[in-house]
Order: sequence, then C-alpha cells, then structure tokens
Amino acid sequence: MGQDPLLQTYDAVVVGSGATGGWAAKQLSEAGLKVALLEAGRAVTPREFTEHLPAYKLKYRDHSPEVLRTRPIQKQCYACMEYNYEWFVNDLENPYSTPTGKPFTWQRLRVLGGRSLVWGRQSYRMSDNDFKAASRDGYGDDWPISYADLAPYYDIVEKYVGISGAAENNEMLPDGRFLQPMKMSCGEVLLRERVKAKFGHTVTIGRVAIVTENHNGRLTCHYCGPCERGCMTFSYFSSPFTTVKDAVASGNCTVITNAVVSHVNMDDGSNKARGVTYVDRLTRQVKEVRAKSVILCAQAMESTRILLNSSTREYPNGLANSSGALGHYLMDHVTGGGATGRLRDFKTLPNANEPHRPNGVYVPRFRNTPSSPRHSRFIRGYGYQGGSSAQFDFNAEGYGTTLKHAVKDGAYGISLGAFGESLARWDNYVSIDPNLKDAWGIPSLHINMTHGDNEAALMEDAGSSAAEFLEAAGAKDIHVQFNVESPGMAIHELGTARMGNDSKKSVLNSFNQAHDVKNLFVMDGASFVSSACQNPTLSMMAITVRACTNLIDRFRKNEV
Amino acid sequence: MKRRDLIRAGVLGGAVAALRPSVATAGQNAALSSELTPAQSGVDASKDLDAPGWKPLFLDAHQNETLIVLSDLIIPATDTPGAKEALVNRYIDLVLAAETRETQSAFLNSLGYVDGESIRRYKNAFLYLAREDQDDLLHSMAYPHNPSRWTGEAAAPDPGHTHFDALKRRIMTAYYSSQIGQKELGWDGAFAHGPYLGCEHPEGDHK
Repeated sequence: MGQDPLLQTYDAVVVGSGATGGWAAKQLSEAGLKVALLEAGRAVTPREFTEHLPAYKLKYRDHSPEVLRTRPIQKQCYACMEYNYEWFVNDLENPYSTPTGKPFTWQRLRVLGGRSLVWGRQSYRMSDNDFKAASRDGYGDDWPISYADLAPYYDIVEKYVGISGAAENNEMLPDGRFLQPMKMSCGEVLLRERVKAKFGHTVTIGRVAIVTENHNGRLTCHYCGPCERGCMTFSYFSSPFTTVKDAVASGNCTVITNAVVSHVNMDDGSNKARGVTYVDRLTRQVKEVRAKSVILCAQAMESTRILLNSSTREYPNGLANSSGALGHYLMDHVTGGGATGRLRDFKTLPNANEPHRPNGVYVPRFRNTPSSPRHSRFIRGYGYQGGSSAQFDFNAEGYGTTLKHAVKDGAYGISLGAFGESLARWDNYVSIDPNLKDAWGIPSLHINMTHGDNEAALMEDAGSSAAEFLEAAGAKDIHVQFNVESPGMAIHELGTARMGNDSKKSVLNSFNQAHDVKNLFVMDGASFVSSACQNPTLSMMAITVRACTNLIDRFRKNEV
Repeated sequence: MKRRDLIRAGVLGGAVAALRPSVATAGQNAALSSELTPAQSGVDASKDLDAPGWKPLFLDAHQNETLIVLSDLIIPATDTPGAKEALVNRYIDLVLAAETRETQSAFLNSLGYVDGESIRRYKNAFLYLAREDQDDLLHSMAYPHNPSRWTGEAAAPDPGHTHFDALKRRIMTAYYSSQIGQKELGWDGAFAHGPYLGCEHPEGDHK
C-alpha cells in the first residue's frame, strides 16, 4: 500500500499488537480485509534479545537500583529486568491512581507485541465448569458462549501457536492439540504419583506456548531458560514474530507504531465508529485513522480506558456504555497461597550446566468440581503452578569454606503456588481520574479493586492443601503461605467490558461486538464474564479468532 | 518508593510530559537508541570494575578495606578464587552508589556494627584483628540464637545476626553473580544444554 497510511479508510483498525491484537490483524488481513494495526510503542527486533547474556556483563548484574527510578511498579514483576526494562512502560509517564489502602499493580509493555514478549506462556483451556459456573453455584452470570462454541477456535490457536503439554482427560481442564510435553523432574514425578495415590488429584506438566518440535518456521526450544528476555529461535510464542509477521506478509496490514490511541471517533449523525485518534508517541502530533470497523485489543483496562475517554453526547458515560457496565467487573487472579519444602532424601546435586526448562508443573482445579463435594467456605477454586529441582543453596548458614561447599551441595526444593478465581464484582472497577493524565495528555485510569472474602478463603485453603501435597511427596522443612497478594500481581487482568446476551447488563455481545455500536469491537480480556482460575491468554486468543471469524463473515455479507 | 508516593509521582506525569517535546524533536533515531537497555544495545560491562586506578564511588577507604577483609572471610579462596579476587567490594560499592539513602545507611550501619563489636571486645577495628579474633567475632554473629535451655526465655534481640546476614547476602550476591562465581558453580559458559531429559527412573526409585 503505497499511499499515506492516514489518508485511506481501512476495513478495520486494530488497537494493540499483543497476543489478541496480533491474532485480529492476522485473521482479518489474511481474509483480504485492509487492516491498520496500531501499537503505542516502537517496533522490536531480534537484535535486542538478551537471553544468552550472562548477568556479569550487565553493569549491575541484574540488580540495578536504577530501574526502580522509572519503573517502580513494573519492577514488582520478575520479568522486568536490567536486561529488558525498556520494554516495560515508564511508570512516571504512564500514571494511574488507586484509592488509599487499595493498591493495584499494573504491568504494561508498550512495544510491538506488548506483553506477549515477556508473558508466562502457560496455556490452558477453560471448560463449561467455567463458562456456566453461575448456573452451577448461583454466583454472577454465565458466559453467553459455551465450551462447544469456543473449542474449534482453541484448536486453531493451539495448532498455530504450538502448545506443549500432556493430555489428562481432566473434567476441569479440557485437553488440547499438544506438541510433545516437556519432561518432569524426579521430584515432580514423585509429587504426581503421591498426589494421585493419596488424593486422586492430577499433577501434570505445564501446558506452555513453547515449541518442543520445529513448528511453523520456529525452532524447538533449546532450554536456555529466560524467555522473558527474548528468544533467538522464536521457540516461545510472541506476536511480532508470528501473527503480526503473517499479517504484514498478507500485504493487507499496515503497522503503525508509536501510536498512542486516545479515543474512538464516531461518525456524525450515525451511530457508527469512524476510526480512532492517536498521539504520536515521539512527536506528540495528533492524528486520525479512519476505518469501517474499530477493534480494541489494547489490554483489558487500556481498551476500557479508550472507551471511557470516547464519550459523546449520546454516550456521556463512555462509548458503548448504555448498560453502565463499562469499567465494572474488573478481575485478576488471586495469588499468595502455597507451600515450599525440601526433598531431603534426594541426593542429586545442582548442576549449572543442566538444561533450564522454562516451565513447571500444573495442578488443575480440584475444589468445587462436578465430582467433588461443594466446599463449605468458598465457591470456585484455584490451580497450582509449581516445580521441583535441585538448586544451589544460597540460603546456606554460616560462612567460609563451609558456606562455599554448602552452596554447591544444594537442596532439592519443591513448591506449589496457587492462582485462584477472582469473582466478578460490580464494585471492582476502573474509571477516568479527572485529575490525572499520562505524558501524552490522555486522561488516566483510577483503579478500584480489592480481593474479597472468597479469594482470601481460596488462598487459605491453597496454603493448607499445598502443605498436604508436599507432605505426601515426603517433603520436609515445609513453609506455608496464606497471603492474598495485591490485585494486579497475577497480571491476568480481565473484565471491564464484559460480554453477555442482555444489553442492559453487558457491553459486548457474544462475538465481542458492542451492543450499542455495531462496528465497534473489544476483542481482548476485557470481554471476560468470569476469570476462571486458568491463565487466560489462550482463551483470549481463541475468543479473538472466533470474533474475527464472525466479523469476516459479516464483511462478506456486506453487513459492516 | 511507596505506592502513595507513586500516585503523587503520577500527578507529576504532566510535568514529565511538558519536558518531553525536547526529547521528541531530537529525532526518532536518537529516541530509539535511548529506548534500548544497555544490555539490549550490546554493552559489555564485565570489565568495568577491573580498572587499575579503581577508586570507590561510595565507600570510604576504611569501609572498603573492611569490606574486602570481611568478604574474603565469608567466601574465602579455596581451590577456587574467593570474594577478594572476584572484586566483590567493587561491585557492592557500585550498587550502593546507585541505591537510596536508606539502603546506603542500612549497609553502613551493618558494616559499622561489625566494627563496633570489634572495638567493644578487642579494642580494635575489625580490619586490624588477628584472624582468630575475626573468626570468634563472626561466629558470634553467623548463627541465630537459641532461647534459654532452662527457662525457655527468648534470647535477647540479636542485631548481630541481622547485620551479619545483610552483609553476607550482599557479598554472596556479588560473588555468585561474578564471572568467577559462575565458574565456582561449575558453569561451562554455554547457554543451551537441552533437551531437558527429566526423570527416567521407575516408580518408587526417584532420587
């Protein structure tokens, strides 16, 4: 497309180039639609990957006090490092506010690919125990879609992304189309055997978006370890080198980087979106992109922020917000319950030259399942992520030669940490802070969220059950945790523009189309009705592909 | 920085914005190069601390000498090099120079505590003690205290162990993150040792 990218009218403008935006761009452009893909940050190249750089080559060896000055919030996540901190937003330029005593940690990347560059890669399907949870326990609302609606799109996404994992035939965790599973350590196999024997629960190898065989031009994982610093073999899934690359290769997708979208524009006199306005991140110039449809994939709260900042006379409380639900039902998985221990009988020494498996084990939800009794203290449940391996013992006591040897003698550790369902609640919400703007003059969010009694009860149970599981594996020196970490710490923000069949109670229909504005779509985690307890990115991508399939169909029928 | 301060910092975001256009006019290329971390731009800082004329940025001469001696007691040379050879003091000095005032003072308090105890017991700074006395002093701080065997009464508060632990932690981080420390752990310098083979034992025989 030789002409000025801002002078044409696209079929679709996609805002955000992460896991969901990449898929939207790929699906729509490969179907022949003209797409503009807007990203608030810069482009990224493999030259800036640092996964093979030893820490001693860094000025502060990855203990930089300087990173904290510009990224005090981002640094709360392990993935924001001295290696890669420039991928994360500068917290001073990207402020948000929270009420006193209600902290929220918001991790964001503004670079092509967004958080898909540094994500945890764990990929799990949701089941009808999640989509229809309200019908089962009476809390909240069912999704307008069922597992059967989404299953074909899980297939498409998994087949393309490459998910390594093992089928378990578990009622809470549908199996998918897996590449070879990664292997378990001895401690993990022991945990799997003992937990199955004593409690009947499943411990499986993590299902992870890392290819364990050459796949779609990406090479099999070489087990170097730190995926969050990039991957020269593109073994883990990130959008710039997969979906976005495909979209560009189609010849139908124009990528516009450094485009900080402020709001959606409406066509005068018709109830239709006309495109979006953005501020050029570097020049501060204000520009407009016109399109026949607008698709927000900016991250749940960012997409909602754009809509809240797009009020019109018809929609004074945020665009497409006749329901009043926009901004509400914010969710983020609760974390902080779990246990650690040592397998003292294991004599395997830690080895600096072992392959580093960028994955752990997973325990699917086992509370409040169709085959277990209802728990007396909480609804829904949690899953565990964990692992077990020989590690250098940097906590060894004493000093001198004894300490030096003790470090190398190591300890065989074992741990489980829970991710619990975050209930959708009206009073967990985002709104626009009238007194706060980002560095581009765009009004910022006020984030109001707490975890409630149910989440606290989940983490209490998660601490106790983890101790029981580790005990069953023969672990000693067990320490338990019953914390309820601040919302945001799971980095699984969901909701704020939920889907539903009732336009008075939801923002989107089951195809992620705004009830109020027919050519406006939100295709990211904002659309979630409930959080389940599984890591959500796989489901988000499947939902995007389903929504795009429907949109393409409507374009073909000339309905857009 | 506390979250409350952050929110305040957030309010200052507008001020940051006002300053930004000068950055933007510097042109896209300059802006892009500043948007890579040193690591992403290929900077190798591994030899920065080796300079022959090295001088501390933060520590004074006595503190620096004390840290060298203390670090080499905590991680001595054996058949492999110790903390002194790994220039642990220089790395700690570099990090401290970039730390907050509170963190800087906490470190100096801990180092000062060792000297204070040394002077109380031996009338001399730690640096100048005989090796046996250094060892006696460190052993009094290296381990947590038990309550009374007879009455069960808790031991007196134990600042020595707390200070020792803080110093030890910094020294260990500095040592094991150095090239010498990585060799000490046996790292062969290669990044990929895959594939991961996992457990191949029969059930009941995991080790």
